[in-house]
Amino acid sequence: VKYLIMMFGCAGQEMQTRSPEWIAGMGTLMQTLEAEMREAGELVSSVGLVDPSAAVTVRPDAGTPVTVDGPFAEIKESLAGYWVVEADQQRAVEIASRVVEYVGHPMEVRRLMHEGTPSEA
Amino acid sequence: VTPGRVEDLLRELAPQVLGALARRHGQFDQCEDAVQEALLAAAVQWPAEGLPRNPAAWLTTVAQRSLVDHRRSDGARRRREEALAALEVRTGPAAADPGGDGPGHGASGTDDTLTLFFLCCHPSLPPRSQLALTLRAVGGLTTAEIAAAFLVPPGTMARRIHRAKQGIRDAGTTFTLPAPADRAARLDVVRQALYLMFNEGYTASSGAALQRPDLTAEAIRLTRLLRRAAPQDGETGGLLALMLLTDARRAARTDAHGAIVPLADQRRDLWDRDDVAEGLALLHRTLGAGPVGPFQVQAAIAAVHAEATDAAATDWPQILALYDVLTHVAPGPLVTLSRAVALAMVHGPRAGLAVVGTLDDAARTAHTHRVAAVRAHLLELAGDADGARRAYLTAARRTASLPEQRYLRMRAAALRAAPGG
Repeated sequence: VKYLIMMFGCAGQEMQTRSPEWIAGMGTLMQTLEAEMREAGELVSSVGLVDPSAAVTVRPDAGTPVTVDGPFAEIKESLAGYWVVEADQQRAVEIASRVVEYVGHPMEVRRLMHEGTPSEA
Repeated sequence: VTPGRVEDLLRELAPQVLGALARRHGQFDQCEDAVQEALLAAAVQWPAEGLPRNPAAWLTTVAQRSLVDHRRSDGARRRREEALAALEVRTGPAAADPGGDGPGHGASGTDDTLTLFFLCCHPSLPPRSQLALTLRAVGGLTTAEIAAAFLVPPGTMARRIHRAKQGIRDAGTTFTLPAPADRAARLDVVRQALYLMFNEGYTASSGAALQRPDLTAEAIRLTRLLRRAAPQDGETGGLLALMLLTDARRAARTDAHGAIVPLADQRRDLWDRDDVAEGLALLHRTLGAGPVGPFQVQAAIAAVHAEATDAAATDWPQILALYDVLTHVAPGPLVTLSRAVALAMVHGPRAGLAVVGTLDDAARTAHTHRVAAVRAHLLELAGDADGARRAYLTAARRTASLPEQRYLRMRAAALRAAPGG
């Protein structure tokens, strides 16, 4: 089973008010976690997105798509990055917990849908 | 023989064999596929069975057989028979005679390599496709290796390479050197592709990307090959010198945690002495031997840094003078930004900030994070901690590089921790 572990814009905003040591610790934590997941063969993909403020949103305007600067959600609720892991929910939650413990902001864990049909048994 | 030794040999022979094959048969795309098959066969057989007496001839023979097989399976009977007849007439001696006009020997081998570079870096192809094709056809990398280097799925890379080869075929290109009048312009494109390859490896050679095949080393190897094929070209020498002098800093560029260490704070005893020495020697031989181009000037700037025993000993007036030359031969917003830093080091941060202020809106928009990062650095030098902090955070919001974002946030945080300093 694959799980998506999502981090949001509030984590990036957090960096603006923290000490250099805290930011360095964050970098080390992320690298340690990634190395651990890679080592265990759990990491399917790891994606970081540029700052949400650099996003553009395409909105319908009387039936015509128009492009507007800025993210769809509020910056603090915008997706900042994600991991896809091959693991069970308990393990995915454990990974997210280690980041949440450090950052102090929520993360979301959600299972990916698959294209196989369920077995009849 | 060890698999590593076989791999080195194969990569060295790949362009020679492909060159010889393409020169004989034309049909670059088919020849390239055939050579890849021969390389794969060799990678399996040689480590187990030992090297053949003439590895190049072995590869040529196997590639030729594969070429014929494919033409046969294409079902184009008439064309196949013509091709077979031509093969029998033209290839018999070369494949059988190791000492003859085999691949890689004498001037034809060198010209083949140059022709391959020109073909792979055909101006009708987008730069990324030029890179991929060069890595495969001249570098002898497999599609899977190239895909890993660019962090895309192998299928994506296979299609990119396939389309690139189609593009070359559609352009009606034959396997011959371009007319002498066109060569300078074509060589520019090849150098740009190699420079892009180098930067692709250089900017990503840290953190999670450690497992990537080393694009930087490959770019240097291929630039050496290009220089051997075009020894009189000063800019190719300049490019190689620039790569060596830049890559020499690799071990000092990041700390134990993968964090960026800026040039001024790098431990220069970690710089690779052999690379520095080779780069400097190369540059001295190149400069003054012909017209000076942007790569030679950039290499000269890197050389001034390399010659300083520590950051404080840097000859900034000399660097500023070189940026003045660069502004003349290859002006652009990124050159203006680098010149602003040099100017600040010679005439003070306000002078540098004034130059940053001259950038037009288009340049600001296209390079917003670099403009902000340079402004931040200069404001910090000028003692404006608050302005510097805000500019660092702007730069951090705009960069697409994770390590750089971390670095910029650290700089901002350091200014908050020590206000006024």
